[in-house]
Amino acid sequence: MDDFWFEFVEITQSVGDGFLFGSTYALIGIGFTLIFGAMGKLNIAYAATAIAGAYSSLAVFMLFDVSLVIIFIVSAICSAILGYLVYLACFRFIPVHNHLAALMASVGGLFFIDEGIVHATRGSPLNFPSMFSEAYFEVGPYGIRGDLLFVFFIGLISTGVLLYVLFRTRLGLATRAVAQQDVAARLCGMSIHSTNSTTFAVAGLLGGIAGAMTAAAVGILSPVMMLPLTIKGLIVTVIGGLGSIPGAIIAGLFVGSFENVVMYFRGIDERDMYVVALLFIFLVFRPNGLFGKTITRD
Amino acid sequence: MDYYLNLINTIGIHTLLGLSAYVLLLTGQLSMAQAGFFAVGAYSASVLTVIFGWSILPAIGLAMLITGFLAFLVGFPALRVRGLMLVVATLAFGEFVRLFFHNFRWRVTQDGVEVGPDGTMGFSEIRYFAEHGWTSWEVASLIWIFVIIVMALIWWADQTRSGAVLRAVGEDELAAGTVGIDVTVVKVAAMTAGGVIAGLGGSLYAHQITMLDHHAFTVLLATFAIAYPILGGVSNVFGTLVAVIFIQGLLVEGLRFLGDWRMLLFGALIVVVMNLKPRGLFDSQTLRWIKNVLRLRLSRRLS
Repeated sequence: MDDFWFEFVEITQSVGDGFLFGSTYALIGIGFTLIFGAMGKLNIAYAATAIAGAYSSLAVFMLFDVSLVIIFIVSAICSAILGYLVYLACFRFIPVHNHLAALMASVGGLFFIDEGIVHATRGSPLNFPSMFSEAYFEVGPYGIRGDLLFVFFIGLISTGVLLYVLFRTRLGLATRAVAQQDVAARLCGMSIHSTNSTTFAVAGLLGGIAGAMTAAAVGILSPVMMLPLTIKGLIVTVIGGLGSIPGAIIAGLFVGSFENVVMYFRGIDERDMYVVALLFIFLVFRPNGLFGKTITRD
Repeated sequence: MDYYLNLINTIGIHTLLGLSAYVLLLTGQLSMAQAGFFAVGAYSASVLTVIFGWSILPAIGLAMLITGFLAFLVGFPALRVRGLMLVVATLAFGEFVRLFFHNFRWRVTQDGVEVGPDGTMGFSEIRYFAEHGWTSWEVASLIWIFVIIVMALIWWADQTRSGAVLRAVGEDELAAGTVGIDVTVVKVAAMTAGGVIAGLGGSLYAHQITMLDHHAFTVLLATFAIAYPILGGVSNVFGTLVAVIFIQGLLVEGLRFLGDWRMLLFGALIVVVMNLKPRGLFDSQTLRWIKNVLRLRLSRRLS
């Protein structure tokens, strides 16, 4: 009986840790969702801009020895600028209805950013300052890591701010209008390009925070993190339902917990394999995700 | 000389990889799973020759069947989604295959030596060509015979009704459906054919390179696979070949003095080409231009 109890505590512990870490996936998923919602296109380079933002904030941290909160702000701003540049390079001048060309261009952008970082850092992982890593709360038989809790709260706050911007301000109104009917939005005098580039920048802000969060929770920053983050972000977007922000949040937290449980049972080598297999289960049984509407367009 | 033969082999194998994506692209599907099928073909063919001691041709044949069947199975769930979602699904599948081989161990003892795929350590005992005394010329001929057969088959299929059907689905699914084409059947068939071709390319790759490692089958390889037909355009098979020669011959080998900066260039090249020519370098516009130039030259020479 004691063994069973011990096992139960261990499993719920890993679910909890994964739930907290899943907030980074949720943020990345929201970013993909925002861009998909606004343009109906996938920006594969998105998670790469997030990691690049974290890298540039690390550079600022090493050069100027700033406080830890500044890191998140710098990361968000750098990632927003990069997001805007990605919009210019991969989306702005490509015909609106050619989805595949824009997608391909953003794949090119992903490799460009990836290789750029590999060159700048000589491909070796760097230490990232972790926050509140010495804090540790004990609640009954469970322990809560301070850095994960911090990451979770940052995620919660940024999601809250985003939802406020999206549903309570004129900018959010414009974004939602363009997402719903771009022709009608243009007839009302909105500029599609400026709305889209704002969306990319806002998604970049979130991405930068998510990138810094991931690096802070893991403790290191490495170019190797880029592709798994991209793929998990896409999986979160699909599982949550394309274009659904609540879906992305729930799916992000779910994927985080799921991967930690898999890691508990099967080890870290097989973790990502089961996460991508999860996507296929969803494609077979719920191709539109948890909250997605039926997709009628490509 | 062996260096050039290796380059020629690489171009041949990558042409097969590009053609496997080309078939799918004809039906308007962008698949990032081709690197995954390539890996399945590579591993299954080399398991057959190394562990079961098969001869190379039956091994390649069975590897193609396995890969084709896998592509057929993947086709159904993946084709419930379209366009961009298909890209995500196939990307995840390719990553799944890579992670599977990352954990795949199957060691057997043969003549006192342990052989077989060894998880992270890779699979490094594929010595079929060396053991059977194939010269590098014979290896290159084998690869290019397959490349020519596949190119000819696709070229021929494109002239017949089936090519028209594939392109009809690619141009407009709804319109194709209304004239009585079963869109799902066509797409799954294209997926299967793409899988078979990728499996062929993979099994040739495994025996030519003699060492398999899951790092070879990342998203980068999948991007190469779709970059060839996209850069080359889908108007005919030679566009893919030209794109492979351009990227593998010029960008990867020709610019070797640039070192690792070449991959940076590859990313930038895709971005630039997609901005300037969203439908590929050899789109109908460019082809018309080339034809006009040729005709002008010809008429000038005649008059």
